[in-house]
Amino acid sequence: MAGHQAGAIAPTGQNPFLRAVAALSTLAGWISAAMIVASVFITCQMIWIRFVMNGNTFWQTEAVIYLMIAATLLGLSYVQRLRGHVNVDLIPLALPRRARKGLAVVTLTLSIIIVAVMVWYGYEFWHVAWARGWTSESVWAIKLWIPYLAVPVGLGLFLLQLIADFVALVLDIDAPFGLEDA
Amino acid sequence: MDPLLLGAIVGLLTIVVLFSGVSVALGLLIVSGGFLLVFDGIRSLELLPEILFGKLNNFALLSIPMFIIMGASIASTRAGADLYEALERWMTRVPGGLVISNLGACALFSAMSGSSPATCAAIGKMGIPEMRKRGYPDSVAAGSIAAGGTLGILIPPSVTMIVYGIATETSIGRLFLAGVIPGLHVGGAVYGMVALFDMAIRRHEFAERAQL
Repeated sequence: MAGHQAGAIAPTGQNPFLRAVAALSTLAGWISAAMIVASVFITCQMIWIRFVMNGNTFWQTEAVIYLMIAATLLGLSYVQRLRGHVNVDLIPLALPRRARKGLAVVTLTLSIIIVAVMVWYGYEFWHVAWARGWTSESVWAIKLWIPYLAVPVGLGLFLLQLIADFVALVLDIDAPFGLEDA
Repeated sequence: MDPLLLGAIVGLLTIVVLFSGVSVALGLLIVSGGFLLVFDGIRSLELLPEILFGKLNNFALLSIPMFIIMGASIASTRAGADLYEALERWMTRVPGGLVISNLGACALFSAMSGSSPATCAAIGKMGIPEMRKRGYPDSVAAGSIAAGGTLGILIPPSVTMIVYGIATETSIGRLFLAGVIPGLHVGGAVYGMVALFDMAIRRHEFAERAQL
Protein backbone atom coordinates (compact mmCIF):
# COMPACT_ATOMS: atom_id res chain seq x y z
CA MET A 1 0.00 0.00 0.00
CA ALA A 2 0.97 3.58 -0.29
CA GLY A 3 1.45 4.37 3.37
CA HIS A 4 5.00 3.21 3.94
CA GLN A 5 6.83 6.50 4.29
CA ALA A 6 6.86 6.29 8.09
CA GLY A 7 10.13 5.31 9.74
CA ALA A 8 13.62 5.58 8.35
CA ILE A 9 15.21 3.13 5.95
CA ALA A 10 17.56 0.72 7.72
CA PRO A 11 21.00 2.39 7.70
CA THR A 12 23.88 0.43 6.16
CA GLY A 13 26.89 2.50 7.24
CA GLN A 14 29.96 1.63 5.18
CA ASN A 15 29.56 -2.11 5.72
CA PRO A 16 29.86 -3.89 2.33
CA PHE A 17 27.67 -6.84 3.41
CA LEU A 18 24.86 -4.56 4.55
CA ARG A 19 25.08 -2.50 1.38
CA ALA A 20 24.98 -5.58 -0.84
CA VAL A 21 21.92 -6.96 0.99
CA ALA A 22 20.23 -3.57 0.84
CA ALA A 23 20.80 -3.43 -2.92
CA LEU A 24 19.41 -6.95 -3.34
CA SER A 25 16.33 -6.11 -1.29
CA THR A 26 15.74 -2.96 -3.30
CA LEU A 27 16.03 -4.92 -6.52
CA ALA A 28 13.51 -7.45 -5.19
CA GLY A 29 11.20 -4.57 -4.31
CA TRP A 30 11.42 -3.24 -7.85
CA ILE A 31 10.73 -6.65 -9.33
CA SER A 32 7.77 -7.05 -7.00
CA ALA A 33 6.41 -3.63 -8.06
CA ALA A 34 6.87 -4.58 -11.72
CA MET A 35 4.87 -7.76 -11.07
CA ILE A 36 1.99 -5.72 -9.63
CA VAL A 37 2.01 -3.41 -12.66
CA ALA A 38 2.15 -6.41 -15.00
CA SER A 39 -0.82 -8.01 -13.26
CA VAL A 40 -2.80 -4.77 -13.62
CA PHE A 41 -2.21 -4.89 -17.38
CA ILE A 42 -3.10 -8.57 -17.54
CA THR A 43 -6.33 -7.90 -15.64
CA CYS A 44 -7.24 -5.12 -18.07
CA GLN A 45 -6.42 -7.35 -21.03
CA MET A 46 -8.60 -10.10 -19.56
CA ILE A 47 -11.54 -7.74 -19.08
CA TRP A 48 -11.11 -6.46 -22.66
CA ILE A 49 -11.03 -9.97 -24.15
CA ARG A 50 -13.98 -11.24 -22.15
CA PHE A 51 -16.41 -8.35 -22.11
CA VAL A 52 -15.54 -6.41 -25.23
CA MET A 53 -14.24 -9.02 -27.66
CA ASN A 54 -16.53 -11.66 -26.15
CA GLY A 55 -13.67 -14.17 -26.25
CA ASN A 56 -12.27 -16.76 -23.90
CA THR A 57 -9.49 -16.31 -21.40
CA PHE A 58 -7.60 -19.23 -19.97
CA TRP A 59 -4.27 -18.10 -18.59
CA GLN A 60 -4.93 -14.62 -17.21
CA THR A 61 -6.63 -15.51 -13.92
CA GLU A 62 -3.90 -17.89 -12.89
CA ALA A 63 -1.13 -15.59 -14.09
CA VAL A 64 -2.45 -12.69 -12.01
CA ILE A 65 -2.81 -14.84 -8.90
CA TYR A 66 0.71 -16.23 -9.22
CA LEU A 67 2.11 -12.77 -9.93
CA MET A 68 0.42 -11.41 -6.81
CA ILE A 69 1.78 -14.22 -4.66
CA ALA A 70 5.25 -13.70 -6.10
CA ALA A 71 4.99 -9.94 -5.60
CA THR A 72 4.01 -10.47 -1.95
CA LEU A 73 6.85 -12.88 -1.25
CA LEU A 74 9.51 -10.92 -3.14
CA GLY A 75 8.35 -7.72 -1.48
CA LEU A 76 9.04 -9.11 2.02
CA SER A 77 12.72 -8.19 2.08
CA TYR A 78 12.18 -4.74 0.60
CA VAL A 79 9.48 -3.95 3.14
CA GLN A 80 11.73 -5.23 5.93
CA ARG A 81 14.44 -2.85 4.73
CA LEU A 82 11.98 0.05 4.79
CA ARG A 83 10.74 -1.13 8.22
CA GLY A 84 7.30 -1.33 6.70
CA HIS A 85 6.23 -4.55 8.45
CA VAL A 86 3.55 -3.70 10.98
CA ASN A 87 4.70 -4.16 14.55
CA VAL A 88 3.68 -3.03 18.03
CA ASP A 89 6.54 -1.11 19.63
CA LEU A 90 4.84 -0.29 22.93
CA ILE A 91 7.14 -2.42 25.08
CA PRO A 92 10.36 -1.52 23.20
CA LEU A 93 9.49 2.17 23.63
CA ALA A 94 9.05 1.72 27.36
CA LEU A 95 12.38 -0.07 27.86
CA PRO A 96 15.76 1.59 28.48
CA ARG A 97 18.21 1.35 25.58
CA ARG A 98 20.22 -1.66 26.78
CA ALA A 99 17.16 -3.79 27.51
CA ARG A 100 15.67 -2.70 24.21
CA LYS A 101 18.73 -3.96 22.40
CA GLY A 102 18.49 -7.29 24.24
CA LEU A 103 14.84 -7.63 23.25
CA ALA A 104 15.67 -6.75 19.63
CA VAL A 105 18.37 -9.46 19.59
CA VAL A 106 15.88 -12.03 20.89
CA THR A 107 13.07 -11.13 18.48
CA LEU A 108 15.42 -10.97 15.48
CA THR A 109 16.97 -14.32 16.38
CA LEU A 110 13.55 -15.94 16.63
CA SER A 111 12.53 -14.36 13.32
CA ILE A 112 15.70 -15.59 11.63
CA ILE A 113 15.15 -19.14 12.93
CA ILE A 114 11.54 -19.37 11.77
CA VAL A 115 12.27 -17.81 8.37
CA ALA A 116 15.26 -20.14 7.91
CA VAL A 117 12.95 -23.10 8.59
CA MET A 118 10.51 -21.72 6.03
CA VAL A 119 13.29 -21.27 3.46
CA TRP A 120 14.50 -24.82 3.99
CA TYR A 121 11.08 -26.43 3.63
CA GLY A 122 10.17 -23.93 0.92
CA TYR A 123 13.12 -25.19 -1.07
CA GLU A 124 11.94 -28.79 -0.63
CA PHE A 125 8.42 -27.75 -1.63
CA TRP A 126 9.80 -26.18 -4.81
CA HIS A 127 12.18 -29.04 -5.50
CA VAL A 128 9.45 -31.69 -5.39
CA ALA A 129 7.36 -29.75 -7.91
CA TRP A 130 10.42 -29.28 -10.11
CA ALA A 131 11.70 -32.86 -9.96
CA ARG A 132 8.29 -34.41 -10.60
CA GLY A 133 7.28 -31.88 -13.24
CA TRP A 134 3.99 -30.98 -11.57
CA THR A 135 1.63 -28.81 -13.57
CA SER A 136 -1.41 -26.83 -12.44
CA GLU A 137 -4.85 -28.37 -12.87
CA SER A 138 -6.15 -25.75 -15.29
CA VAL A 139 -6.23 -25.65 -19.08
CA TRP A 140 -3.08 -23.56 -19.02
CA ALA A 141 -1.24 -26.33 -17.10
CA ILE A 142 1.72 -24.17 -16.19
CA LYS A 143 4.71 -25.98 -14.65
CA LEU A 144 4.17 -25.40 -10.95
CA TRP A 145 7.86 -24.97 -10.12
CA ILE A 146 7.73 -21.50 -11.69
CA PRO A 147 5.21 -19.98 -9.25
CA TYR A 148 6.56 -22.12 -6.39
CA LEU A 149 10.00 -20.61 -6.94
CA ALA A 150 8.73 -17.43 -5.28
CA VAL A 151 8.54 -19.20 -1.89
CA PRO A 152 12.24 -20.10 -1.45
CA VAL A 153 13.53 -17.03 -3.32
CA GLY A 154 11.30 -14.49 -1.58
CA LEU A 155 11.80 -15.97 1.87
CA GLY A 156 15.53 -16.42 1.18
CA LEU A 157 15.92 -12.71 0.42
CA PHE A 158 13.85 -11.94 3.50
CA LEU A 159 16.20 -14.13 5.55
CA LEU A 160 19.21 -12.26 4.15
CA GLN A 161 17.68 -8.91 5.06
CA LEU A 162 16.85 -10.15 8.57
CA ILE A 163 20.44 -11.35 9.00
CA ALA A 164 21.67 -7.98 7.74
CA ASP A 165 19.44 -6.23 10.29
CA PHE A 166 20.85 -8.50 12.99
CA VAL A 167 24.42 -7.65 11.95
CA ALA A 168 23.59 -3.94 11.88
CA LEU A 169 22.09 -4.22 15.36
CA VAL A 170 25.07 -6.08 16.83
CA LEU A 171 27.60 -3.72 15.21
CA ASP A 172 25.61 -0.72 16.51
CA ILE A 173 25.07 0.59 12.97
CA ASP A 174 21.34 0.52 13.55
CA ALA A 175 19.34 1.41 16.67
CA PRO A 176 17.22 -1.45 18.09
CA PHE A 177 13.77 -1.53 16.38
CA GLY A 178 14.93 1.57 14.49
CA LEU A 179 13.98 3.68 17.52
CA GLU A 180 16.26 6.59 18.25
CA ASP A 181 16.68 7.62 21.87
CA ALA A 182 13.99 10.03 22.92
CA MET B 1 -4.46 -31.18 26.88
CA ASP B 2 -7.79 -29.50 27.41
CA PRO B 3 -8.61 -27.57 24.20
CA LEU B 4 -9.84 -24.57 26.15
CA LEU B 5 -6.64 -24.35 28.20
CA LEU B 6 -4.55 -24.84 25.08
CA GLY B 7 -6.47 -22.08 23.33
CA ALA B 8 -5.92 -19.77 26.27
CA ILE B 9 -2.18 -20.50 26.27
CA VAL B 10 -1.92 -19.91 22.51
CA GLY B 11 -3.89 -16.68 22.80
CA LEU B 12 -1.84 -15.38 25.71
CA LEU B 13 1.47 -16.29 24.10
CA THR B 14 0.42 -14.63 20.84
CA ILE B 15 -0.29 -11.39 22.67
CA VAL B 16 3.05 -11.55 24.53
CA VAL B 17 4.97 -12.23 21.30
CA LEU B 18 3.16 -9.52 19.35
CA PHE B 19 3.88 -6.92 22.04
CA SER B 20 7.60 -7.71 21.94
CA GLY B 21 8.11 -5.50 18.89
CA VAL B 22 8.51 -8.32 16.37
CA SER B 23 6.62 -7.71 13.12
CA VAL B 24 3.08 -9.05 13.36
CA ALA B 25 3.39 -11.47 10.44
CA LEU B 26 6.57 -13.01 11.84
CA GLY B 27 5.15 -13.06 15.35
CA LEU B 28 2.18 -15.13 14.22
CA LEU B 29 4.52 -17.41 12.29
CA ILE B 30 6.74 -17.87 15.36
CA VAL B 31 3.79 -18.75 17.59
CA SER B 32 2.17 -21.15 15.14
CA GLY B 33 5.50 -22.71 14.16
CA GLY B 34 6.43 -23.15 17.81
CA PHE B 35 3.17 -24.88 18.70
CA LEU B 36 3.35 -27.10 15.62
CA LEU B 37 6.84 -28.13 16.66
CA VAL B 38 5.83 -28.88 20.25
CA PHE B 39 2.61 -30.76 19.54
CA ASP B 40 3.19 -32.35 16.15
CA GLY B 41 6.94 -32.77 15.89
CA ILE B 42 9.46 -31.42 13.45
CA ARG B 43 7.99 -33.08 10.35
CA SER B 44 4.84 -30.97 10.57
CA LEU B 45 6.87 -27.83 9.84
CA GLU B 46 7.32 -29.24 6.36
CA LEU B 47 3.73 -28.24 5.63
CA LEU B 48 4.29 -24.54 6.31
CA PRO B 49 5.34 -23.46 2.77
CA GLU B 50 2.57 -25.53 1.24
CA ILE B 51 -0.01 -23.94 3.55
CA LEU B 52 1.42 -20.50 2.77
CA PHE B 53 1.16 -20.99 -0.97
CA GLY B 54 -2.12 -22.90 -0.85
CA LYS B 55 -3.89 -20.23 1.20
CA LEU B 56 -2.58 -17.43 -1.02
CA ASN B 57 -3.57 -19.27 -4.19
CA ASN B 58 -7.05 -17.81 -4.33
CA PHE B 59 -9.23 -16.49 -7.11
CA ALA B 60 -10.15 -13.37 -5.12
CA LEU B 61 -6.58 -12.10 -5.36
CA LEU B 62 -7.55 -10.95 -8.85
CA SER B 63 -9.00 -7.80 -7.32
CA ILE B 64 -5.91 -6.83 -5.34
CA PRO B 65 -3.65 -5.35 -8.07
CA MET B 66 -6.30 -2.83 -9.11
CA PHE B 67 -6.78 -1.82 -5.48
CA ILE B 68 -3.06 -1.31 -5.02
CA ILE B 69 -2.85 0.85 -8.12
CA MET B 70 -5.90 2.85 -7.05
CA GLY B 71 -4.54 3.46 -3.54
CA ALA B 72 -1.06 4.29 -4.78
CA SER B 73 -2.26 6.69 -7.44
CA ILE B 74 -4.64 8.53 -5.12
CA ALA B 75 -2.00 8.74 -2.41
CA SER B 76 0.64 10.16 -4.74
CA THR B 77 -1.60 12.79 -6.37
CA ARG B 78 -2.90 15.99 -4.81
CA ALA B 79 -6.30 14.40 -4.19
CA GLY B 80 -5.64 14.13 -0.46
CA ALA B 81 -4.49 17.75 -0.19
CA ASP B 82 -7.46 19.09 -2.16
CA LEU B 83 -9.91 17.04 -0.14
CA TYR B 84 -8.38 18.28 3.08
CA GLU B 85 -8.50 21.88 1.95
CA ALA B 86 -12.15 21.66 0.94
CA LEU B 87 -13.18 20.17 4.27
CA GLU B 88 -11.06 22.62 6.17
CA ARG B 89 -13.04 25.50 4.63
CA TRP B 90 -16.42 23.88 5.20
CA MET B 91 -15.76 22.92 8.79
CA THR B 92 -14.10 25.95 10.33
CA ARG B 93 -17.15 27.14 12.23
CA VAL B 94 -18.53 23.89 13.61
CA PRO B 95 -17.60 22.78 17.15
CA GLY B 96 -14.41 20.73 16.94
CA GLY B 97 -12.96 22.73 14.08
CA LEU B 98 -10.08 21.12 12.28
CA VAL B 99 -10.48 17.88 14.23
CA ILE B 100 -13.79 17.40 12.47
CA SER B 101 -12.36 18.30 9.08
CA ASN B 102 -9.59 15.75 9.61
CA LEU B 103 -12.13 13.06 10.39
CA GLY B 104 -14.30 14.00 7.43
CA ALA B 105 -11.32 13.98 5.07
CA CYS B 106 -10.29 10.57 6.41
CA ALA B 107 -13.81 9.18 5.89
CA LEU B 108 -13.98 10.44 2.30
CA PHE B 109 -10.48 9.32 1.54
CA SER B 110 -11.11 5.86 2.94
CA ALA B 111 -14.11 5.55 0.64
CA MET B 112 -11.68 6.10 -2.22
CA SER B 113 -8.63 4.14 -1.18
CA GLY B 114 -9.78 1.26 1.00
CA SER B 115 -6.75 1.17 3.23
CA SER B 116 -6.15 2.55 6.72
CA PRO B 117 -2.40 3.19 6.37
CA ALA B 118 -2.92 4.98 3.03
CA THR B 119 -5.65 7.12 4.61
CA CYS B 120 -3.49 8.04 7.59
CA ALA B 121 -0.53 8.81 5.36
CA ALA B 122 -2.43 10.92 2.86
CA ILE B 123 -4.53 12.96 5.29
CA GLY B 124 -1.94 13.03 8.09
CA LYS B 125 0.62 14.58 5.76
CA MET B 126 -1.63 17.63 5.37
CA GLY B 127 -3.64 17.46 8.57
CA ILE B 128 -0.98 17.20 11.26
CA PRO B 129 1.24 20.13 10.15
CA GLU B 130 -1.84 22.30 9.62
CA MET B 131 -3.16 21.55 13.11
CA ARG B 132 0.20 22.14 14.76
CA LYS B 133 0.51 25.45 12.94
CA ARG B 134 -2.77 26.57 14.47
CA GLY B 135 -1.79 25.50 17.95
CA TYR B 136 -3.76 22.31 18.46
CA PRO B 137 -2.05 19.99 20.98
CA ASP B 138 0.04 17.26 19.30
CA SER B 139 -2.01 14.55 20.99
CA VAL B 140 -5.23 15.90 19.48
CA ALA B 141 -3.65 16.18 16.02
CA ALA B 142 -2.29 12.63 16.08
CA GLY B 143 -5.42 11.21 17.69
CA SER B 144 -7.78 12.65 15.11
CA ILE B 145 -5.77 11.13 12.26
CA ALA B 146 -5.48 7.77 14.01
CA ALA B 147 -9.22 7.65 14.74
CA GLY B 148 -10.02 8.75 11.20
CA GLY B 149 -7.69 6.14 9.77
CA THR B 150 -9.65 3.32 11.36
CA LEU B 151 -12.53 4.31 9.08
CA GLY B 152 -10.29 3.27 6.18
CA ILE B 153 -10.99 -0.41 6.58
CA LEU B 154 -14.63 -0.01 7.61
CA ILE B 155 -15.93 2.14 4.78
CA PRO B 156 -16.00 0.10 1.57
CA PRO B 157 -14.18 -0.63 -0.62
CA SER B 158 -11.55 -2.02 1.68
CA VAL B 159 -8.55 -4.23 0.97
CA THR B 160 -8.69 -5.65 4.47
CA MET B 161 -12.23 -6.90 3.89
CA ILE B 162 -11.15 -8.65 0.70
CA VAL B 163 -8.32 -10.37 2.53
CA TYR B 164 -10.66 -11.25 5.42
CA GLY B 165 -13.22 -12.57 2.95
CA ILE B 166 -10.59 -14.75 1.32
CA ALA B 167 -9.32 -16.10 4.64
CA THR B 168 -12.73 -16.90 6.09
CA GLU B 169 -14.59 -17.64 2.84
CA THR B 170 -17.14 -14.92 3.48
CA SER B 171 -18.89 -13.08 0.64
CA ILE B 172 -16.83 -9.95 -0.07
CA GLY B 173 -19.84 -8.06 -1.46
CA ARG B 174 -21.72 -8.68 1.76
CA LEU B 175 -18.70 -7.65 3.82
CA PHE B 176 -18.59 -4.37 1.92
CA LEU B 177 -22.29 -3.77 2.52
CA ALA B 178 -21.85 -4.65 6.17
CA GLY B 179 -19.14 -1.99 6.49
CA VAL B 180 -21.24 0.98 5.41
CA ILE B 181 -23.38 1.50 8.51
CA PRO B 182 -20.69 0.70 11.10
CA GLY B 183 -18.34 3.01 9.20
CA LEU B 184 -20.78 5.91 9.25
CA HIS B 185 -21.70 5.04 12.82
CA VAL B 186 -18.12 5.09 14.08
CA GLY B 187 -17.44 8.26 12.12
CA GLY B 188 -20.57 9.90 13.53
CA ALA B 189 -19.80 8.80 17.08
CA VAL B 190 -16.30 10.23 16.90
CA TYR B 191 -17.60 13.52 15.42
CA GLY B 192 -20.16 13.74 18.18
CA MET B 193 -17.62 13.08 20.90
CA VAL B 194 -15.17 15.63 19.55
CA ALA B 195 -17.89 18.26 19.16
CA LEU B 196 -19.17 17.64 22.70
CA PHE B 197 -15.65 17.66 24.13
CA ASP B 198 -14.97 20.93 22.38
CA MET B 199 -18.20 22.58 23.52
CA ALA B 200 -18.28 21.33 27.08
CA ILE B 201 -14.64 21.03 28.15
CA ARG B 202 -12.54 23.10 25.78
CA ARG B 203 -15.11 25.90 25.49
CA HIS B 204 -14.96 26.09 21.70
CA GLU B 205 -11.19 26.28 21.73
CA PHE B 206 -10.86 23.80 18.82
CA ALA B 207 -13.36 25.70 16.70
CA GLU B 208 -11.71 29.03 17.40
CA ARG B 209 -8.26 27.74 16.57
CA ALA B 210 -9.53 26.69 13.16
CA GLN B 211 -10.09 30.35 12.30
CA LEU B 212 -6.63 31.52 13.35
